[in-house]
Amino acid sequence: MLDFFNQNFGRYLVEQTGRPARDAQRALSSGHKMRKGGLPQRIASGWAIVRPERSTMQFELAADDFEYSKLTRYEAFQAELDSWDGTPRIFIEFDKKPVPVNNLFVTYDLRAVRICSPKGCETFDYTKPPEKDGSKTHRVIWKQRGLLK
Amino acid sequence: MTLDALLGAILFDELQDVDAAHAAIPVKCTAGLFHASAAIIEPIQKDRVAFIAALRPQHSIDPDLILKNKKGGLHRKFDNAFTNVLNAYPMLTAPALTWYVEGDADKIERLLSPVEFVGKRRASGFGQIRSWGFDTDELNGIEGVFGEPLRPVPVAMFSGDTSHPVVDAAWRPAYWKAEHRAACYAPSFI
Repeated sequence: MLDFFNQNFGRYLVEQTGRPARDAQRALSSGHKMRKGGLPQRIASGWAIVRPERSTMQFELAADDFEYSKLTRYEAFQAELDSWDGTPRIFIEFDKKPVPVNNLFVTYDLRAVRICSPKGCETFDYTKPPEKDGSKTHRVIWKQRGLLK
Repeated sequence: MTLDALLGAILFDELQDVDAAHAAIPVKCTAGLFHASAAIIEPIQKDRVAFIAALRPQHSIDPDLILKNKKGGLHRKFDNAFTNVLNAYPMLTAPALTWYVEGDADKIERLLSPVEFVGKRRASGFGQIRSWGFDTDELNGIEGVFGEPLRPVPVAMFSGDTSHPVVDAAWRPAYWKAEHRAACYAPSFI
């Protein structure tokens, strides 16, 4: 799991030292050069989708190795899930607190989608309607799709 | 909660050494995969329970353990305000927990019999075990009667029903370590 994250996301941000957990944590919690210039900043807002090839994120860094998108997190996650090609993904929501490495989970199947954030990890079955007290992301995406009032 | 994780935790209490505790788990192990199922639980009630952890920062920390500032000195300003942190947990009430395991029955019984509480909030009085029972069975702790996974099993090591979802899960102890996660077939109750 950490190899997938570092290979497709972390290595573009921090030097790899062969200690996967520490490398991943540095990528998530240290400052990175911004596209707009100025002091390096930690990724403290927005979202990222880590893919086997080119990952996408919202927070605009100087690194050219990512695609950048202005979609909201829910629009981006919905687009990704609706066009799922069966390969692994990591869905990340960033916030002021860094995302702990232990909250990172790879999604392999639409029946067990994982949304990783500083607070924890939401899990839901995207092939079924959201439960009443279920995942917020699941409910918002189903509302976007017009399947939930 | 797999049975090898529970046995490993009990052994760690005795041995105070993680590697020794894992090596002493009396369960059959194939290429790192223990033949011990996750706990099978059929709740009669699902609820949530919240706990308030009252954090009381003190200044008795060894300075060597504190991250230094850019000049190599200690940070001198700390927030020492009293803080309350609210954590909510799902609470399941069940008449029984069941595990399937292939291993040394006598040693497993010796380790489990004194255990009175299991689960995350056992120190708060939750997860109380009324009694332990041990029976013989044909299941190996990895696959159920219909080929379903009884525990997280890496995709490459699983020979059962592959129609179950693949999830990212820790499949060997220590289960809290992110490095021990892999693409696994896992029971839906995990």
